[in-house]
Amino acid sequence: MTRRILIRRGTLVLPDRRMLVDGDVLIEGRVIARVGRGISDPQAQSIDASGLLVGPGFVNLHVHFREPGQERKETLETGARAAARGGFTTVLCMPNTSPPLDHPLVVQALRLRARALPFTNILFAGAISRGCQGKEMCDYGLLKEAGVVALSDDGASVDSSRLLYFALQYARYFHLPFILHEEDSELSREGHMHEGEVAFLLGYRGIPRVAEDSRLARDVLLALDTGARVHFTHLSTERSVTILRLFRGQAPLSADVTPHHLLLTVEDIPRFGSLAKVKPPLREKRDIEALKAGIADGTIDILASDHAPHAPEDKEGSFLDAAFGISNLEITVPLYVKALVEDGVVDWIELWRKLSYNPARFLGLENKGVLAEGKDADLTIVDPQTEWEVDVAQFESKGRNCPFQGWSLRGWPVYTIVGGRVVMAERSVVDGEFC
Amino acid sequence: MDFFVSLFGRWERVWAHRHLLGIRPLTREDILLVLERAAHWREFLEASPKFENILSGYSMVCLFFEPSTRTRMSFEMAGKLLGMNVLNFSLEGSSLEKGESFRDTVRTIARMKADVLVVRHRDSGVPEYLASFLPCHVVNAGDGMREHPTQALLDLLAIRRTLGRIEGLRVAILGDILHSRVARSLALALMKLGNSVVFSGPPTLVPESVLALGAERVFPVEQAVEGADVVYLLRIQRERQEAGYFPSLQEYTRFFGLGERLLTRMKEGAFIMHPGPVNRGVEIEHRFVEHESSLIEEQVTCGVAVRMAVLEILLRGEKTS
Repeated sequence: MTRRILIRRGTLVLPDRRMLVDGDVLIEGRVIARVGRGISDPQAQSIDASGLLVGPGFVNLHVHFREPGQERKETLETGARAAARGGFTTVLCMPNTSPPLDHPLVVQALRLRARALPFTNILFAGAISRGCQGKEMCDYGLLKEAGVVALSDDGASVDSSRLLYFALQYARYFHLPFILHEEDSELSREGHMHEGEVAFLLGYRGIPRVAEDSRLARDVLLALDTGARVHFTHLSTERSVTILRLFRGQAPLSADVTPHHLLLTVEDIPRFGSLAKVKPPLREKRDIEALKAGIADGTIDILASDHAPHAPEDKEGSFLDAAFGISNLEITVPLYVKALVEDGVVDWIELWRKLSYNPARFLGLENKGVLAEGKDADLTIVDPQTEWEVDVAQFESKGRNCPFQGWSLRGWPVYTIVGGRVVMAERSVVDGEFC
Repeated sequence: MDFFVSLFGRWERVWAHRHLLGIRPLTREDILLVLERAAHWREFLEASPKFENILSGYSMVCLFFEPSTRTRMSFEMAGKLLGMNVLNFSLEGSSLEKGESFRDTVRTIARMKADVLVVRHRDSGVPEYLASFLPCHVVNAGDGMREHPTQALLDLLAIRRTLGRIEGLRVAILGDILHSRVARSLALALMKLGNSVVFSGPPTLVPESVLALGAERVFPVEQAVEGADVVYLLRIQRERQEAGYFPSLQEYTRFFGLGERLLTRMKEGAFIMHPGPVNRGVEIEHRFVEHESSLIEEQVTCGVAVRMAVLEILLRGEKTS
């Protein structure tokens, strides 16, 4: 018997059409069967969505689930559960694991494991270079056959212009888009936080803005020259936005940010310590303003997480020794609501678009990111009103390295439906044979 | 001999070149003349023993500054079959290694009154340079990444012998177009005779600039071979991987090499060609090298015939003009 779910009396978010409408959604099996008003189906499991926003599931282009090799930080399973709790029905795992996703066999093995997890659709980015070492191209054709949907050396930038130049040309043959982490390693070397007065006063070497700006500028030009599909991830600086805005119309470029780069600055480091140690580093107010302006005018068209879970021991001890990264997958959406909706930067429709429709388009997922009949039954339901406090103790993620502990936020996902299955209800992951 | 005398009149009219520097300077008629004479010599090669000495008294020096087996031997065979004195220059132990300049080395050889200088060099344009000041006929046996005219001509002969015509065909050339003098010469020659040429391979090795030749550029290779009468594979060199143009031979073979996957996309009766030397199992699966649709061995024989024709036309044709 086909499983049916009826979501009733919600406010439907149609990001592709930039519309909000009141209505119901009927799911049959793995697809959306009907979208409309006054749908009734007594046999279906019913979810009352009155007062809630119902839209296509969120798609996250940037998470680290640490498998294989660093399972003490996160696993596909804990990561997938965190995604369900965060309202993400599709996530893209970065390849900087151990070993990295530079060989088809590693990708195949992970995909088999990912397929057994119902909580979210886990996709994988393959490495741009072997071992993410920035020296030789990986076998992009073989990686694509193994199932990667994008290429990235995230965690590091591709220092060799020649390698990236060839990679961008070569990968077009296989229609693989790139996700670039922009950081000139020469300029960022030994830096632990944003370069500036705070770093000076605290006595740490800095990572200057230009480490990102200059690398992004180079790669924008490489993208223009090669015509490759290039996405810039976790922008953090004012000039990154300026450069991207300048060239965006000339090539298929896109970009994302993280919520922490919109809500925290380098000034917060004394308060949060190593919990706020992240790459790129937290910048300054003017960078936040520039990022928000970029989000408002569409220069930044995707919102991601850079969910970077770590084990407690990775963040303990001295600031210098602490790992870079913030665990935020479960609170990404309410953090964006705080940073963008409550601040009037974008409305709910635009927010939803940047969280679902745009990233789905980037990955070429035709049946995701859209709430319409015949599309995949991946949906997220959000409560736009109720405030809850962030409690890292409730995280499904193994990573509790989160500076937002105790923050009171609105806009939490309250249901997540993946492939026609309710995997999260009332902010809790649903285990077992729930429907 | 009467036969050739009767032809002299025609050569005078159509062959106006002192050298064979590339396909680019040749007209359609030039190419057809070479093919016509080469077809004759191709039949001649079937005889054993072979007696011919129309070029006896002429001498040829093969000046190869790059390693070569088949091209050099093919020229040598062609010259000797026509009764020429053939000398091979060897780079090792040469006066060049003793510090003599390139210009002086070739001048010295020319002063020995060689009639034909066959030259291969890693630098594009060296044949032109030599032709500009040497008194002998210069034949380009491959200059850098630019031209390899006798290879193109022998390929045309092999195609015409097999398919019965050399116009209105579609030829897909696959692989390292960027670094290939064979691809450049062959595409030029094919198009001068009214054939269409399509290039494909890894985009890094088939950049947009290949369009300068007037051929098409089609990706992926599966689409490029569709409807092609001939699928021409280029040798892939490991140096290209080391230089970063493609990631691995394994991936090259899988996606750009000729195997079952590509064969199923080729049209019935299409032929496979390769200039050699073949990397078996890399750009072409082992069993297709000697496949019934492979012209690879025929190309080698046609090579001798074409070089005989070129030497004949340069030396005999010029005499009368």
